[in-house]
Formats: sequence, C-alpha cells, structure tokens
Amino acid sequence: MSGARTGMPERLANRLKERRTELGLTQAELAERVGVTRKTVNTVENGVFTPSATLAIKLAHALDLSVEQTFWIEP
Amino acid sequence: MSSYLIGLLVGIGAGLLILAVTKFRTRNRSMSVAEQAEFLSKRRARMLPALAVIFLAQQASYFSTPATTAPRPVDTVKISAWLVLSIVLLAALATKGFWGHSREVRNLIDDENTRANRNRAMQSGFLFAMGAGVCVYITTMFIPVTTREAVHIMMSAGIATALIQWGYLERRAYRDA
Repeated sequence: MSGARTGMPERLANRLKERRTELGLTQAELAERVGVTRKTVNTVENGVFTPSATLAIKLAHALDLSVEQTFWIEP
Repeated sequence: MSSYLIGLLVGIGAGLLILAVTKFRTRNRSMSVAEQAEFLSKRRARMLPALAVIFLAQQASYFSTPATTAPRPVDTVKISAWLVLSIVLLAALATKGFWGHSREVRNLIDDENTRANRNRAMQSGFLFAMGAGVCVYITTMFIPVTTREAVHIMMSAGIATALIQWGYLERRAYRDA
C-alpha cells in the first residue's frame, strides 16, 4: 500500500550521487549540464529539495538514465 | 553645509565604494558563467544574515529616538535611510537581484532551488508582517501608535524575517549531507 494511502510521509529518493560518481562527474559539472547551480544539485542529491518534473527529466537525461531509474518514492 | 548632509553624502560614498570594490573583485577573476553564479550565490548566502542584522540594528536606532513634537532633520534622514534600504531589500527579495551582472549569470543564480527558497522566505515574511500587524492592532488598544510607527513595524518584521529565512535556506542548501 502506498504512503499516500496509509498517511505515512513519503520522500523522493534518488540515485544521483551514485550515478554521478559512476560517470566521474562532479556536482558542478552535472549542474552545468542541466543549467542549474551546484547548490540545486546538492539539495536534490541530499533529498532536501524536490525537483520539478522538468529538472528531474533533465537530471535523468544528463546521467543517461530514465526518470524512473533516477527517482522513486520511498515511504 | 549641514552635518546631516555631510553624513548622508559620506554614507552614500561608502556604499558606492563597497559596490566598486565588490565589482572589481568579481571582474578581476576570469570565471565562467557557472563559476560566477556559484561565487555570487555563495556570497549572497553569507550576506543575507548580515543584511538582516544591519536592517534590525537600524530599527533600534529609529525606535531609540525620543518622541518629539517637531521632527528634527536627523529623523528625516533616518526615516529616508530606512525607506531606501527597505525598498532595495524588497527589490532584492522580489527580483533576481545582482542587477549589475549579465542576464545569463542572473538567470543561473535564480535557478529552481533559489526560487523555491525565495518563495518560502517571502511566505514567512508575509506571515510575520501580518503577525506584527495583529500585535500593533492589539497594542493600540492600550497605548497610542502612530500610522508611521505601525507601517514601520510591519514592514520591518516582514523584510527582516524574509531575509533571515532566505539566508538560512541558502546556507543549508550548500551544506553537504
């Protein structure tokens, strides 16, 4: 049962850091690829900031992944 | 020339000197757009709490002035300085800021996370301004408060809260997990 149905708080988890490290990219380099500052990449990686659909797609494409492979909902 | 005018001119001169130094420091480094945005964004995160402190200190100076029947020239200067600073800070809160820089740099600085942080800060500022309004309203039942004082308190509460909140969110965004 999903967190929304049970009333449990949900968070958007991601594998940005893992994939970025695999590709040998720094936060600044990834940020430059998607046209944001390093701060935004850092907050998304840390789960502090939930990106918009546009940014999520851009990040996934920059890391050669699909959005579903990059982001998922954790209860 | 009156001492107040000299003080005002010295203040404006100091402000222009600080602007020139910061501009020179930024220009002296050959940086890409991304590096410039990073540098300026970090500087803003450091400056916001400092600006809030300066702004709040100015309030102490305003409210410590004894109430006089006839306004003195120094009071006019104080109020004008507060108004100018308030307008500049409001403009910085409501726009992308960094007006002297290229559009590319300004657009990059004002990215998704910054806009979200700014909107959250503006929301807090609005709530605190309204809260201050409620407090002033209750206060007027017991002691007289002039319109100018009420507006001053509400604007200051809103702007200072927004600055502090934005500064906190920007600094947190740079923290590593």
